[in-house]
Amino acid sequence: MSENRDPDPVRRDRKSDESFQPLAEIVTGELIAGAPPGDRLATADGARGVAELIAAAVLDRFVVGPRPAEPVHEHVSRGAPAGSGVILEVRDLSVVYGAKTAVDGISLQMNRGEIFGLLGPNGAGKTSTLSAIEGLIKPRSGAVFVDGVDIRRHPSQAKAKLGVQLQATSFQSQLTIKQIIRLYAGLYGVRLSDSEITAGLREIGLEGDATKPFKQLSGGQQQRLSLYVAVVHDPALLLLDEPTAGLDPQSRRQLWGRIEDLRQQGGSILLTTHSMEEAEAVCDRVAIIDHGTLLTCETPQDLIAKHRDDPEVRKVAHGDVTLEDVFIGLTGSEIRA
Amino acid sequence: MRSSQPATGPPLPLVMSSLLRADFAVLLKSRRSLLISVFLPMVILFSTNSSKAAHSFGGSLFIIGLATALGLVSNSILGYALTVSRDRDQGVFQRLRVTPAPTWTIMTSRLAMQALSNLLITVIVVIVGSQMHHVSLSAGTYALVLVVSILGGAVFLSIGQALVGLVKSADSINAAGRVLTIGLVLLSSLGQSGTLGSAWESISRWSPVGVVMTLFAAVLNLSAWDTNDSLALLACGGYIVVFGAIGIRWFQWDAR
Repeated sequence: MSENRDPDPVRRDRKSDESFQPLAEIVTGELIAGAPPGDRLATADGARGVAELIAAAVLDRFVVGPRPAEPVHEHVSRGAPAGSGVILEVRDLSVVYGAKTAVDGISLQMNRGEIFGLLGPNGAGKTSTLSAIEGLIKPRSGAVFVDGVDIRRHPSQAKAKLGVQLQATSFQSQLTIKQIIRLYAGLYGVRLSDSEITAGLREIGLEGDATKPFKQLSGGQQQRLSLYVAVVHDPALLLLDEPTAGLDPQSRRQLWGRIEDLRQQGGSILLTTHSMEEAEAVCDRVAIIDHGTLLTCETPQDLIAKHRDDPEVRKVAHGDVTLEDVFIGLTGSEIRA
Repeated sequence: MRSSQPATGPPLPLVMSSLLRADFAVLLKSRRSLLISVFLPMVILFSTNSSKAAHSFGGSLFIIGLATALGLVSNSILGYALTVSRDRDQGVFQRLRVTPAPTWTIMTSRLAMQALSNLLITVIVVIVGSQMHHVSLSAGTYALVLVVSILGGAVFLSIGQALVGLVKSADSINAAGRVLTIGLVLLSSLGQSGTLGSAWESISRWSPVGVVMTLFAAVLNLSAWDTNDSLALLACGGYIVVFGAIGIRWFQWDAR
């Protein structure tokens, strides 16, 4: 559990003295989970071509290298300062639903330019943690700082720094693609002209679909649009909740290709996934959560090396120990609800 | 690609205009729903076209008031509550809530578009009703009718909000909304006609539909404004406060 501690002794010893100011929200709730429908792209080659287009579009919108420090009032930042190496700081986070504790005192830090995987079995607390980071639920205690901004004290400022792709693509079904892009760009303070929207759609391979209702898109097209909307404002941190759930192999490969490219360009991405192989291949660091607590947080390679000889891991390993073996060794073999 | 990149959060006017534009687009695509909301008032206006039928319902002004109020009931309770509950089920609100847009802007935009559609329904029903029942209306009266439309719409929107606050699933809201709408229609139409007796007539008169149609009838004949009309105005405010408070207190953005 040492990974659960802040490596910075100054920050680690500094207790948060902020009393939470409840948001003006009457009630809060978690994300609505649901796998998007499968992609219907015809061929792998076609998919790869589109992937390149999307990768270029996403890269174009992501900041390459350190972002310039944005003006943040002194009272706003009680976490790592904006523009520092820490893009996300979760401090002693607890989320409770009635009598059930979904997240129990999780602390973690994510560095700028890092791809960070949040792993855990069903019901482990991943989505609750992500929802708290997104500002969708009010934690019982703890704090979340996005690029130095406390999301509960200054939700609009913090959310402006986030790009979010929810597990289920959930835009108003009556709106056209163009209307959706214009809406979400506006909500992030970005004004887009018609020609800019057309260019954006061309980049994600939806050039001829501007006037199509969202519900008429295939699963893969919806996913591409969803990611495009998530990065339309150049977010400092991109949150992806099980981005490959329900996608076919071509679409999954497209997405991981994009994420890999973003890593190369210094983009910061926090994602949840059930695919250990993909997490092992893509993530710089992974955190494994179970029963609402953080079990470990390391690079996939260090995690495997550290637990290679663990009896529980050896028991489930077939040949070389993989991240999945470590995951099952740490969280148990029983099937979760 | 970008024209601006806010440092501390998006400007509120841009957020609000983006939401209003999108909700207006949705409203334009919901023409069928609007037509259905106009259908019931038209049935009432046509079926009471004779002077005898009009007299049994308290006169032409009451019939126009009843028809307009029921149009608002249909649009606000069924239309608004169903749309909100379906969007909640599909996670539309959660997607909007992860943006920097304050939550009040999301609902304000929805309610503004609902008020606009209520005004549209009111104008259609009042114009058709006044032609069919040979009621002559001045421009000032039309303006007052629109004011009452906003007020009456707020009564039924608050009931719709209470419905989505107390009931979670869209299917349940669909069923409950229909039962509620039918109940209010029967209570107002049968109760006001006196068919069910004086007690029900009194209950009907002070029901949400009753007070709204009283106000409509009152502004259509402003010179006859009396204490009952003032009390109906107060009752409208009371319904808005009570149902609105219930709807806001128990509303959940997520269906789970």
